[in-house]
Amino acid sequence: MATVVGGGAPKKASIAGRRRKVAYGLLAPGGLYLLAILLLPLAIMIFTSLKTGGLLSGGFTFEFPGDWSNYVDGLVEYKSHFLRSITYAGIATFLAIVFAYPMMYWIAFHGGKWKGSLLLLILLPFFVSYVVRTVQWKWILADNGLFLGTLKDFGVLPEDFKVLATPLAVVAGLTYDFIPFAALPLFVSLDRISGSLIEAAEDLFATPFTAFRKVVFPLSLPGVFAALILSFVPMAGDYVNPEILGGPNTQMIGNIIQYKFLVSADYPLGSALSVILMIGMVILASIYAKILGAEEASNMAAA
Amino acid sequence: MTDKREPLSHDPLQIQKALKTRLTRRELMKYAGAGAGAVSLGAFLAACGDDDSGSGGGGGGGGGGDNPFAGGPNGKVNFANWPLYIDKAFIKAIDGRGSPTLYAYQKETGTEVNYQEVIQDNASFFGRIQPQLSAGQPTGWDIIVITNGRELTALIANEWLEELDTSMRPNFDANAAAFAVDPPFDPGNKYTMCWQSGVTGIVTNKDLTGGEILTSWEDLRNPKYKSQIGMLKAEALDAAMVAQGVDPETSTPDDWRNAATWLQEQQDTGVVRNYYEQGYIDEVIAGNLAGCQAWSGDVLYYKLWEDYSNLEFVVPDEGGLLWIDNMIIPKGAENPVDAMNIMDYYYQPRVATDVAEWVMYMSPVNGVQKLMAQDAKDAYAKGWDAYAKKLEDSANEPMLFPDQAMLDGLFNFRNLTTDDEREEWDMIFEPIIQ
Repeated sequence: MATVVGGGAPKKASIAGRRRKVAYGLLAPGGLYLLAILLLPLAIMIFTSLKTGGLLSGGFTFEFPGDWSNYVDGLVEYKSHFLRSITYAGIATFLAIVFAYPMMYWIAFHGGKWKGSLLLLILLPFFVSYVVRTVQWKWILADNGLFLGTLKDFGVLPEDFKVLATPLAVVAGLTYDFIPFAALPLFVSLDRISGSLIEAAEDLFATPFTAFRKVVFPLSLPGVFAALILSFVPMAGDYVNPEILGGPNTQMIGNIIQYKFLVSADYPLGSALSVILMIGMVILASIYAKILGAEEASNMAAA
Repeated sequence: MTDKREPLSHDPLQIQKALKTRLTRRELMKYAGAGAGAVSLGAFLAACGDDDSGSGGGGGGGGGGDNPFAGGPNGKVNFANWPLYIDKAFIKAIDGRGSPTLYAYQKETGTEVNYQEVIQDNASFFGRIQPQLSAGQPTGWDIIVITNGRELTALIANEWLEELDTSMRPNFDANAAAFAVDPPFDPGNKYTMCWQSGVTGIVTNKDLTGGEILTSWEDLRNPKYKSQIGMLKAEALDAAMVAQGVDPETSTPDDWRNAATWLQEQQDTGVVRNYYEQGYIDEVIAGNLAGCQAWSGDVLYYKLWEDYSNLEFVVPDEGGLLWIDNMIIPKGAENPVDAMNIMDYYYQPRVATDVAEWVMYMSPVNGVQKLMAQDAKDAYAKGWDAYAKKLEDSANEPMLFPDQAMLDGLFNFRNLTTDDEREEWDMIFEPIIQ
């Protein structure tokens, strides 16, 4: 016996070693990809955000320890745009979850064999570029177009009524564009909930609403948080909706960054704004991870 | 001059329409990098990534030598231009679509032209070539078309352009239109030769104004047009100066502040729907904008070739703005002689006419109007009435062929030549449009 164990030990180690190699090998493609596509540009972006100078006086240069005033300037000067981004994205996220939740609830509990097809319907618009879809709204909601024009002809709406170029249009556009980001995690978490739990709640004399409030909703919270983060992050950085559907006073921080890069060629400030936005999102995501971690733990405890 | 073009065998109008995708494509491509999330990484990758032009070895010129034009031609050239900015047709000999004028040049000289429509806007393309240029490396391009403005000023100021060999452009010397010679941003055409040019003025959608045509910049502040007026992001401040009777070219920071006030008042009346980079023309056509600051070619294309008779383009009473898209040779270009030759080739009236019939902007070459009128007659003779009519209308369009009086009413943009000026300009202007 002892000899067998003794003989097995080095073999075991080599298997472990090989396993580790395989694991690294499997990690390599994705890891290298991340390094090249995410981390490297990120490093360049942070580096650029610390540069000073101007294009006409020899370009932007880096001098140790870097020009941190880009960050201060960016935060002070574009405070209102950051706030606007957070507000719009917050409202749109709330709306997306409110719209998506009942829909996903119904599909998860009553979709039956059609679940897959119904989900596909939610995803269907995603097969078309969201820029194209957003531009289409511009035509649909044109001041005197198909929809508003007709209502105006019938006298339902005043002649100067408009949706485009208002904050409403931007928030509605964000909600529409990112609703699948909210819907899918909600579906996953709702689908996991066993119908027998609701039956059990009803057996214990819970009204349907109480059953939802005390059983279904708490169990779906991880999905709600996932939906929150997945839709809020891209919404806050979006510049397509305000650009296409918005007006002069609906510009979000994404538009400013785009403008800094593509119009005024102020790369350091644009980079600094991007980094600020990114850090904000990372903080948000870590809060989410913390809450979700706690949530998962309490789920385990309940089970 | 002999006509080296392939003879046309059928009515070109339908083909032209099919090949000419709508201008909105530009707008879509601009957002293509938006994806879902990471905000500016796309722009960054573009700025850091390498270019995709095929550039081989090649002897004459480049980097070290004092005179890049001393060597002979290398038989190839890499040409970067904007989308839909050259003549296009189905070419039988290559069994595909291409530019007949470029094809004729290739056949005639044996030069291999790598023509790429890679420029969506000045700033992002500038971002792509700037790292190479500041590192003293070739960009891979021999000809780049860029509008007069910040980027061109920076290219010239940093000595990132080859100085053109003025002895190598006989066609330019003989045929260049007056506005293309000696532009204020490049005295003596040392670095630039105009590719096409255009006017910034006002487009009116007559359906929304009840037939009235907006003829002055001041009309763009009429409170009647609530949320129905558009302005161009990059050019609004210059237009506001013109509206106040100030010549932007010689304007001072005080003038800028006055112009900013003009724009702020305009915004406060509630007429401004948005400030546009591209895509304003869609809003005009969709009936959302009654009037908008506009580029002549955008409007003319829809009016003359897509039958939008409700559109009207005018140079405002106070004056319009003239902009020029320039061909330049970036520093370290590998085929400068070939580039110079091809730049001059486009100053032959026949060649320039072929381009002008397609792109609907102001040609920098004299004699194009006559040839276009002749082409219209030829087309009538062949029975291609629809095509002929459009050519005829185009040949008579004052915005394509401005007379001296109109040119006199055009102003040049303010050329911001130092970083301090740029910063001050941005500080005054950005709070309004953002």
